[in-house]
Amino acid sequence: MIGPDAFPPGGVRALLRTAWVTEPTRLALQARLDRRYEAPRTFDAGAFAALKAICDRLIPQPTPAVDIAGALDERLAEGKRNGWRYDVLPSDAEALRLGLGGIDETAAILFGARFTALPPASQDTVLSAVQAGAPPGTAWATLPAELWFEELLVEAAEIYFAHPLSQEAIGYLGMADAAGWSAIGLDEREAEPRTETGGHATA
Amino acid sequence: MRRHEPSDIVDAVVIGTGAGGAPIMARLAEAGLSVVALECGRAWDPARDFATDEEAQGKLYWMDERLSAGADPLRFGANNSGIGVGGSTLHYTAYFPRAQADDFRLKSDFGVGADWPVPYAEIEPYYDELEAFLGLSGPQNYPWGAARSYPLPPLPLNGAAQLMQGACARLGIRTSAAPNAAASRPFFQKGYGLRAACSNRGYCQAGCSTGAKASMDVTFIPLALSLGAELRAESFVTRIETNAEGRASGVVYTQNSVERRQRCRAVFLCAGSIETPRLLLLNGLANSSGQVGRNLMAHPGQQVWGRFEQMVRPWKGIPGGLISEDTHRPADADFASGYLLQSIGVMPVTYAGEVARGRGLWGQALLDHMARYNHIAGINILGDCLPSPDNYLELSDELDERGLPKPRIHFSAGENERRMTAHADRLMREIWMEAGARDIWSFARFAHVIGTCRMGERADGAVVNPEGESFDVPGLFIADNSTFPSALGANPSLTIMAFSLRTADRFLNRTRRGET
Repeated sequence: MIGPDAFPPGGVRALLRTAWVTEPTRLALQARLDRRYEAPRTFDAGAFAALKAICDRLIPQPTPAVDIAGALDERLAEGKRNGWRYDVLPSDAEALRLGLGGIDETAAILFGARFTALPPASQDTVLSAVQAGAPPGTAWATLPAELWFEELLVEAAEIYFAHPLSQEAIGYLGMADAAGWSAIGLDEREAEPRTETGGHATA
Repeated sequence: MRRHEPSDIVDAVVIGTGAGGAPIMARLAEAGLSVVALECGRAWDPARDFATDEEAQGKLYWMDERLSAGADPLRFGANNSGIGVGGSTLHYTAYFPRAQADDFRLKSDFGVGADWPVPYAEIEPYYDELEAFLGLSGPQNYPWGAARSYPLPPLPLNGAAQLMQGACARLGIRTSAAPNAAASRPFFQKGYGLRAACSNRGYCQAGCSTGAKASMDVTFIPLALSLGAELRAESFVTRIETNAEGRASGVVYTQNSVERRQRCRAVFLCAGSIETPRLLLLNGLANSSGQVGRNLMAHPGQQVWGRFEQMVRPWKGIPGGLISEDTHRPADADFASGYLLQSIGVMPVTYAGEVARGRGLWGQALLDHMARYNHIAGINILGDCLPSPDNYLELSDELDERGLPKPRIHFSAGENERRMTAHADRLMREIWMEAGARDIWSFARFAHVIGTCRMGERADGAVVNPEGESFDVPGLFIADNSTFPSALGANPSLTIMAFSLRTADRFLNRTRRGET
């Protein structure tokens, strides 16, 4: 009952092809790796570009691997929820629509341009003002800026770190779930020698 | 599985198949009663259906939207909710401490909260029975409360548990391997078969795929079915019916978009502390006291995280390996009651969400923090909570996809919870500093929603009597965490099950005596 101690060459994509991974886990992760989102379904082009620009600042990806804005758009289009919502915020879709408007309004007041037209440093200034809870702009008079930002940030972070490539990047190997783990203590390593592919036959 | 016709008058309909409903199903079926259980969620085959993936396992949470209000809005979904055959036990941590005797007399000892209308001594035999039946893993000599040992050896300690154990020993805080309902050895489960030994996959909170964890779908439910109970999954109850005498006489539910009715002699409502009061409020039932939805409590669940030099890999092993109840009644407390301490592991998506929400980290700072994920370990508390008139559940004007009003849940921590949390936060930071942690930070949270259909002696102040039966509607019993008069400084599942078995036994005694 021993799992692998590290990713095989080829990383999580290669790991998913081994017997270390159970079928339900392989299906879930492979589907996420393969997922591509088409044109946005809930946002118009302008709003979606703003959302994408915000996500790029919240989770900067040197080589874009995870389409956070696309996944968020998909969730809203499917009407999926996470089980609760701050009572002081409107529905998720409405909150995003209002907040994206608010972001452009704040960007215009602070820098005289739409959010997407700003350099990264100015975009960060806008986002920091929203996170701090009192950004300039009429949209935020009825939409609690701090909570709006918190909800968007949490969802972006959860989408990003649910992606197998992000999990590989932080050394999370839990998807190698077929055999279980024996070396669970501090600094312990799974003792089983790895094969070249990392997929040991005992898995 | 025995099947009943809707036109049959069955002895009992059980609504919900979690820690409240499942034990009742088995107990009543064992006594030869005809039992139909209605579960709004699906039946899962864990080996085939459960991925080791947090997002995919979102299917185990109650995702219909709840509105969270108050100064400390409760987060539902991935915590504080559950759906499916087995209810929230499908994703409970299976951390299994007993309530202690003084948890039942908060009012007597501190002058706040409420005493339980049932003597603790009456519950202890049920704790014994449940620990044996579920095959609990734990120490031979548990240091707190009644002397006891657990049937299976303790589960191994993971990195977070080792760090907490070492630091607590140096600080003079007693710790123990935690009582846990995951089997440390293969365990024969009556009515189910062999439950595998825990493989340390660490996924208790998102569904155990091996049967090691004693969720209801591998324990009480298969036992109940083997004894003749009938289970109807994907059946959402919308109405409890009463007859001319005002007794509970049937249940109306929707299955496959068709409205159905099951007639019965008694109803056991076990839908949890949100859906149980919600159904009663929707039906305008059992609320002459005005207490349905009131007395809502939630355990202070403050977490303290730290980064360690050592490789922790917080995704390995049961999340809560170690326990301390030395803080059950702290000598230097400036608050009533107390809390327990536990070591905690965490899965990556959950942790990323907490870092984002709790610290507000984004951009490169968030990525840099997460790059050290394998070096993160945590401690958290489970603390008692006092009822407050400010904390309650109501129906909102907003409708959900089923066309029913969404519940709005008001929660604000009171002075007692704030003081307890501050005390615990200081102590946990001290432990983590002693353990060598860097970048220590706290995440504020509340876990387990409790109360909302209080059990009590008097019809004007409680929803159900000490038997669990509605004061207003004879034949309607409630058995879940909604009936708890106080929150307890212990994880609720074991006590929920104990009261469910007791309610079933009291009902059976009455039935045998020929009473209604």
